[in-house]
Amino acid sequence: MNEQMPAEPRNSFEERSRKLFLESVEDMDFATRSRLTQARSAALAAASARRPWFARAGLLAPAGVTAAALLGAFLWLGSPMWQHAGTVADGLSNFEDLDLVASSDEGSGDAMDMLQDDIEFYDWADKAANSGPEAQS
Amino acid sequence: MPRLDTLNSAWMVWDNAAPKPEDGVLEYTRELEKFLAEIERRAFRMAQVALRDPDDAMDVVQDTMLKLARNYASRPSAEWRPLFYRILENGIRDLQRRRSVRKRFMTWLPGAKEDPDNEAQDPLENVADASPPIPEELMRDQAMEQLEVSLRGLPARQREAFMLRNFEGLDVAETASAMGCSQGSVKTHYSRAVHTLREQLGEVW
Repeated sequence: MNEQMPAEPRNSFEERSRKLFLESVEDMDFATRSRLTQARSAALAAASARRPWFARAGLLAPAGVTAAALLGAFLWLGSPMWQHAGTVADGLSNFEDLDLVASSDEGSGDAMDMLQDDIEFYDWADKAANSGPEAQS
Repeated sequence: MPRLDTLNSAWMVWDNAAPKPEDGVLEYTRELEKFLAEIERRAFRMAQVALRDPDDAMDVVQDTMLKLARNYASRPSAEWRPLFYRILENGIRDLQRRRSVRKRFMTWLPGAKEDPDNEAQDPLENVADASPPIPEELMRDQAMEQLEVSLRGLPARQREAFMLRNFEGLDVAETASAMGCSQGSVKTHYSRAVHTLREQLGEVW
């Protein structure tokens, strides 16, 4: 029986009503007690049949961790990140080429100036490539 | 790249930390059985006071046990008592609601018999009789019966607050958790319930 009492001071009415209630509980007939015991057993059997998630996790944890570790390793090795160093090196090389083209050189002049000098030729070449044989005539 | 020996050692740490499931299940099952055995009779009487019908009370208590065992057994045992009474009170309320709907439906049917629940509404029931003194046990039963009748006359929340606080001995916080309301509401409901019951039973007792 729960003997915990409310924190506030209790008056005689509350004491009496509680006492009456607890006496009525003690006087409970055998048939009702028996049914309650059966109900309790059924509830506990149902709870045991349906095991909690942590129990299942306890059994599956080693297998789950192994599978997760293997999957992670495969993903790591197969991902583009694995080739990260090479990709960055290539990117740096491309930047260097672009810088070389854009930079000015005293001997050959600015690369953009060179493009502007032959602008009519590049315009004709572009039209010829897009329009077919009639544009070439 | 993660090293395999690191993964392996992490797995070993996890493996050692994992609880043994069978031991855990047995332990909480034993603890839960003890808890239910300790609480079941009072819970049944409280449900009986609210519902009046012992079969309905038994059904609600059984359903409460089942729900607690299935859904909340893994929770810390300190939480079981408020959870149990919350489920119980919800079950009682659901049953009362269904009864109310059924009662309304029955009144629409031509020739439907009056709900047997109304038998307890006999106005003479609460009138003290002038019979000669009776043995102590009978007086006690009569006093409890009067208390039950008065409790049934209270608004549901007041009845819940009174029974959980006074009969079950839950503190304000636990009662609030069981009723799903604030602690202030619990104090208000409880105070009103005590006031009403004392007014009704003070003279009889």
